[in-house]
Amino acid sequence: MERVSSTPLLEVRDLTLRFGGVTALDAVGFEVGPGELLAVIGPNGAGKTSIFNCLCGVYRPQRGTATLDGEPLLGRQPAAIAARGVARTFQNLGLFGHLTLVENLLLGRHHLMRTGFFSGMFWWGRAKREEITHRAAVEEIIELLELEPYRRMPAGMLPYGVAKRAELGRALAMEPRLLLLDEPVAGMNLEETEDTARYLLEVRRELGLAMILVEHDMSLVMDLADRVVVLDFGVVIATGEPSEIQDDPRVVEAYLGGAA
Amino acid sequence: MGAHRNVVRGYADELRLFGTPAARAGLVAMVVVFLVLPTVVQDDFWLSVLIYVGITAFGAIGLNLLTGYCGQISLGHAFFIGAGAYVAARIGGELGLPLPVWLLAAAVLGAALGGLVGPFALRLRGHYLAIVTLGLVFIGEHLWRNLTGITGGNSGTPVTAGASLGPVDFGALNLFGEVYSRNQGWFWLVWGLVALVALLAKNLVRTRPGRALQAVRDRDQAAEVIGVRAGRYKIGAFMLSSAIAATAGALFGAYQQFVSPDEWNLLLSIQYIAIVIVGGLGTIFGSVLGAIFVGALPALIDRYSDAIPGVRTGVGSEGFISVFALNQALFGVLIVLFLVFEPRGLAGIWLRVKAYFKAWPFSY
Repeated sequence: MERVSSTPLLEVRDLTLRFGGVTALDAVGFEVGPGELLAVIGPNGAGKTSIFNCLCGVYRPQRGTATLDGEPLLGRQPAAIAARGVARTFQNLGLFGHLTLVENLLLGRHHLMRTGFFSGMFWWGRAKREEITHRAAVEEIIELLELEPYRRMPAGMLPYGVAKRAELGRALAMEPRLLLLDEPVAGMNLEETEDTARYLLEVRRELGLAMILVEHDMSLVMDLADRVVVLDFGVVIATGEPSEIQDDPRVVEAYLGGAA
Repeated sequence: MGAHRNVVRGYADELRLFGTPAARAGLVAMVVVFLVLPTVVQDDFWLSVLIYVGITAFGAIGLNLLTGYCGQISLGHAFFIGAGAYVAARIGGELGLPLPVWLLAAAVLGAALGGLVGPFALRLRGHYLAIVTLGLVFIGEHLWRNLTGITGGNSGTPVTAGASLGPVDFGALNLFGEVYSRNQGWFWLVWGLVALVALLAKNLVRTRPGRALQAVRDRDQAAEVIGVRAGRYKIGAFMLSSAIAATAGALFGAYQQFVSPDEWNLLLSIQYIAIVIVGGLGTIFGSVLGAIFVGALPALIDRYSDAIPGVRTGVGSEGFISVFALNQALFGVLIVLFLVFEPRGLAGIWLRVKAYFKAWPFSY
């Protein structure tokens, strides 16, 4: 895999997160290049989702830096980080259950819109123009992810696989620079997993987005990722291309235990 | 050539509030009822019931924005309604300023008070927020009884706020040579304002800020992560809801012409909670339906108390329950019944009926 650019899009250095006496992340460092798909793998409780929560501003790490295009991310409010182009999906679905699919996708574009309480109430003018423009933008994502049959369905009633896809759609609607995917195929059968892989490849091809993928499905990781970071008990134990990682004895040990 | 069916040709079509012929027919029907009803029903009792229902619907829309759309429970609605009534008494009555001024002043004061209470919602949720807002009612009662200069203390205060909009005085309408009673004029004024605030609220909830409120209700942390500043919207919802409540209170005071501190008690707050639950949480139309249903009940029971078995109509008369106690009990029963059997409220029933006729003769 050739490195297209020498300046990374996301640079994480020395990220350390503690909950009381437990060190969830210990001096974690990695970088993501423009358009690169980085996978983060590791056993349960290794700290994969904690990395996402730090990058999104949900957790406040005790130490470390994370910069997106040179701009620091840590220490900002989640909404401010979202506005800077970091989008994520959640492990157990973060859709708004009572809102329709279209409304969920429009919420992804919240930070790109400007209508406030007053202009919203008066509708004619800016609010209406904005609704129409962004509705059109949302339609492109519906098309890309083939969500047409579900437009008006409340998100809480979507089938699981579709809901996962809808969440990916909402993240894409944010027009992010960096996409964080937290177990996008967890709980899916083989067919749904293959579909998701196809959508992710299509998103990469169409939008050239940089992504971080947290996933337990090793075949998906090995097929899609450009590089892999392996985490165990909050420590990075290996970084490299999928082929290198697969044979790394430390990785095998972390996954299968010392006796293997 | 026009299309035969109701075809949506673009997003602008799709976003229309009254997009289908049936919806437009409904709109026309509502306008006709609004215009004609006071000339048909000239009876002062019925008109005053309808006016109180309208004022209640107005306030309920505010509570529904906060509780139904933003998911923030509030037992403090009575406090804001009371504050609004005193604005009408002082700014509309004492200073003699015109209708739009005292209505706006009530809204501004309500928003300011809501802005003070809103930040509690950032730290508290569910029962805890309910308790804090419950405290408001009691702080309010203390204030209303002791700020005698503004509220008249325990004995209350007259509200002489005028209801003139330019040359049109709703208190004594005189249109095209016809003279209308105070109640007729107030019916048009109040229900016109209900229509206005319902339209504004509907616009709000279908655009960016309204979606954000609902996102905060459904999952506030996910909302933050996709770029919605949840705290800002919670406070905004409190301010807006209180502004609407205070405006309703101002209308209430000005219509009743006299207010006393006993009126802004916990029961009033619970009545509003009952309305939004019975009407349907998270629907504007439901707030109005709920107000008609719940708001008209006490008046009807009062009127027909002698015909209801077991109701005591006076001291020492037969019966096991007083009119007042029956009303209180009914709110509780309604809340329980609707939460158990129809959580989507009257608006949910309405949607089901509509869906049935849309699909008729097929069952779905």
